[in-house]
Amino acid sequence: HILSHYNHKHKYISLEFNVKNQLKFTNRPDNTAFTQQRLPAWQPILSAGIVIPGFVLIGLAFIGVGVALFVTSRSIQVLERDYTGDESGTPCASCANSNVQNSFGFCFPQSQGPVFFYYGLSNYFQNYRRYGTSKDDNQLYGVLKYFTSPSDNCAPYAYNSNNQPIVPCGSIANSMFNDTFKLYQTVNGTRQEVSLDGKGIAWWTDYNIKYRNPTNNPLKDAFNGTVKPIYWSKPAYELDTSDPSNNGFVNQDFLVWMRRAALPDFRKLYRRISQDKYPDGLPAGNYSLEITYNYRVYRFSGKKKVVFSNVSWMGGKNEFLGIAYLVVGSMCVFMSIVMLIVYAKFKFPDEE
Amino acid sequence: MTDYFIPRSAELSLCFSEPLFLQDVNDRWSLQHPQLYCPGQKNQYFNKKAFASCVMHSCYSSLILFFIPWAAMRDTVRDDGKDIANYQSFALLTQTCLLIVVFTQLCLDTYYWSAVNHFFVWGSIAAYFAITFTMYSNGMFYIFTSTFPFVGTARNSLNQPNVWLTIFLSSLLCILPVVAFRFILIQLRPTINDKVRYKMRKEVLPAPAPRRLLRRRSTRSGYAFSHSQGYGELITSQNFLMKRPLKRASLFPQTDSPIFQNQPQHYLDHQQIKKLTDSMNGGLSLLLKRRVAILVT
Repeated sequence: HILSHYNHKHKYISLEFNVKNQLKFTNRPDNTAFTQQRLPAWQPILSAGIVIPGFVLIGLAFIGVGVALFVTSRSIQVLERDYTGDESGTPCASCANSNVQNSFGFCFPQSQGPVFFYYGLSNYFQNYRRYGTSKDDNQLYGVLKYFTSPSDNCAPYAYNSNNQPIVPCGSIANSMFNDTFKLYQTVNGTRQEVSLDGKGIAWWTDYNIKYRNPTNNPLKDAFNGTVKPIYWSKPAYELDTSDPSNNGFVNQDFLVWMRRAALPDFRKLYRRISQDKYPDGLPAGNYSLEITYNYRVYRFSGKKKVVFSNVSWMGGKNEFLGIAYLVVGSMCVFMSIVMLIVYAKFKFPDEE
Repeated sequence: MTDYFIPRSAELSLCFSEPLFLQDVNDRWSLQHPQLYCPGQKNQYFNKKAFASCVMHSCYSSLILFFIPWAAMRDTVRDDGKDIANYQSFALLTQTCLLIVVFTQLCLDTYYWSAVNHFFVWGSIAAYFAITFTMYSNGMFYIFTSTFPFVGTARNSLNQPNVWLTIFLSSLLCILPVVAFRFILIQLRPTINDKVRYKMRKEVLPAPAPRRLLRRRSTRSGYAFSHSQGYGELITSQNFLMKRPLKRASLFPQTDSPIFQNQPQHYLDHQQIKKLTDSMNGGLSLLLKRRVAILVT
């Protein structure tokens, strides 16, 4: 480190610095391209030749995609019916206070492709954090050790009032949706039941990997010493009496319910209209839906609905993506015109 | 929940590596255009206005990164009718949108793309997807069951076209305003950085710095002289601190130091220094001029 000071008297300059390092240069970095930041580099700048055509291309591509999305979304058929029964005159108006079966009719146009039957809930916060962590993944994976000692995450739904362990524990399992539906088609005045298919409505990774039944045979033996969740009417090993492989933790309705929703208004797949009888989708006609109203949503102002929908390559009916792409595409094209005008008028000169 | 550290680690690896390999205009251009130092001295890029615009940009990006996935995922399902609007898929979608926006913004801010930059940028994106798929794989779930509950999420949601369209839309909606804004600013109010960068692309390197002029005329200021290699021994030997006065403003007396004899002695007088400062007008900064002036008097 060199200090220089000027000596007025003698008109000399005296220099002082550290004698030790004068010849060693131990701290000097190597003179390579890497250490001296001289690596060969591509140096892009935002030039008009790239930005303006780029915006035009992106704009046109977005408009094209937006049109495709919008047209596809418009072609999807959706039928929704609210059946909460909170107002008189609506379907199931009498159900809200007592467990009755109620049915209502509706017309269905000719559908194209397979029809999916969803139940929808509103004002239902499955994304609440304490609710979301209230389950025991090890129990649901079939590890018997956790049947008798559920994890603390499940509290207060881990043990019942007699201090018996609950299987499956936790709030998510406890609040499982338990309305059941039956669909009838009115043909020549008679009601014919439309068969509904409940196989494979959950994700294959949930069914095969994430959830496992304990290996006990019969399954009932694994649940000795435990009790069913408080709000359930049937224990886990009797969820589907018609199909023995659809019991325990790999019951399809249970899996669909456990995959908790992100938003307070959601729909979950209940069944699909089986393709055996209606390979081309549901024919047009009058239908009636019979509902067994078990699930109470009145206390938290929730709403229930059924949704019939078919799907396409972009999923269910969602007009937002199509409209958003169209709007953004048009804005891109507009911006490219603006930038072209700015560039033509205010091109910054080469000379400083 | 436990997997928020994937995007953080990818971002951090990228953010910490980027500044290490930033390049700048080289020394010749810096000498040719000393106004390049003005923005730093005037705090042009780090002041309250810059901070406020940064905050506004962040707010806009945050709103886009949440509400576009929210609107796209409302009431929709997969193309086989199964669930896609679940908590885990929504989290993965938002996280991926965020990462892509961050990477694209970093690409925009990288002005010098050396091989190292390419490796870190593309490597980070690849690492993010590799880590995501690994964390959501069957193997990790079997080993650590309750730590990796997102098993299957990546496979079941990232194979949907509407998910990728949402990612594409939100990232472009965050990036395109920045590009348009920067382009228009370059046209309307180019900063010294933009001008120099533009010139660097258009022209070859300028004529070398005036130092070569010095050598031709065999004049070197004592300041420059004292910084060059080989004179340390001479200067530390204190031989030049002689008491006898000199007529000219000579900096080093004649001695018999062996190093001295290998290099020619050059001194500056008043006229030469004046010519030197005139020729350096606009080349060197005022600071250097003052130093040279000190040597004269």
